[in-house]
Amino acid sequence: MVGRPLDESDLIRRAQRGDTHAYEELVNAYQGIAFRTAYVIARNASDAEDAAQDGFVKAWRALGRFREGAPFRPWLLRIVANEASNRRRSAGRRASLALRAATQQPSGDAAPSPEAALLSSEQRAVLLAAVDELPDEQRDVVALRYFLGLSEAEVAETLGIPQGTVKSRNARALARLRESYD
Amino acid sequence: MTELERALAALGEELEFPQSRDVWPRIADRLRRRRWVRPAVFALAAGVAALAIALAVPPAQTRPFATGLGPALTQPTLKLPASVTATKYYKRPGLAAALLRYRGAQLLFAELRGDQMGFAKKFVGPTTHAEEVRIGEWGIWFTGAPHVLMWDSGTARTRLAGNVLIWLQNGVTYRLEGQLNRDRMLVLARQITP
Repeated sequence: MVGRPLDESDLIRRAQRGDTHAYEELVNAYQGIAFRTAYVIARNASDAEDAAQDGFVKAWRALGRFREGAPFRPWLLRIVANEASNRRRSAGRRASLALRAATQQPSGDAAPSPEAALLSSEQRAVLLAAVDELPDEQRDVVALRYFLGLSEAEVAETLGIPQGTVKSRNARALARLRESYD
Repeated sequence: MTELERALAALGEELEFPQSRDVWPRIADRLRRRRWVRPAVFALAAGVAALAIALAVPPAQTRPFATGLGPALTQPTLKLPASVTATKYYKRPGLAAALLRYRGAQLLFAELRGDQMGFAKKFVGPTTHAEEVRIGEWGIWFTGAPHVLMWDSGTARTRLAGNVLIWLQNGVTYRLEGQLNRDRMLVLARQITP
């Protein structure tokens, strides 16, 4: 017999009642984006993994305060992002993101997307370096918004800042990047 | 979306994200362990965090609330919700505190920089009750009795002046002490760290 897949709100309700199997499903669904969020903030795989793990444990403890009907992903990512920020502060370093070695050919045999095809490998490297040069607060917004594809509202929730601040940081970042890109 | 924004999105496709291991086994292990945590053990957190305040406190149940916190200040050292009235403020390295009036009770509220929850050990007596509560990233409700505090540089025998709620959120340890019941204390705590 094949059971009906549980929807997210069912899983959350069950997890709030202490059901770890339900929470495991939520972790499985979100651990990828949680790790990537932590990674673009902490810039270190080991720290990102620890931040994601600690974030999930803290989210479990905080589930009782999760508001029913609210979007779960940004709520979770905010906890994870906070963990990652703490690690970045502690480490005091400023690492860079890396491009895949085979930059000219995205993974697998798939053809590059039309957008990816717009960029030469040199442009990619220049643009990434320019992103790395941004102040942390602008870099976080750009990374979450464009690299991870979060909406403005999700970026705001994840970073714990108003959406207007996301817009202004993003606008300032784009203005700086435009100098390198044009 | 502008051309630059499309280029950034395209760049995102090319980023090298390291492979991460499945985190669930470690999370499950941590959740399982926590179920067996006994009050006397999570006192590792509680009391210990009773921290700088309790630390410097004389061993008498009659101690004034804020003994050991140094001279009272008139300038606010803490951001507080509108529901409380601060009568005095205190500040020491790594700690800011205030004496509050809330629902007719006097409370001592303190903020400590960093996670103090695992700083030292607290050995509770048979009449001390510690209970995990849902507040912040980790909270403990703690009703008092004579107890010994141990921290990294010493010990002190002290007595709580009232019930204590200690919680950790965003890298800050918060502590509320006073004659309020658990539910009322939690209501106030959630106003302090919404």
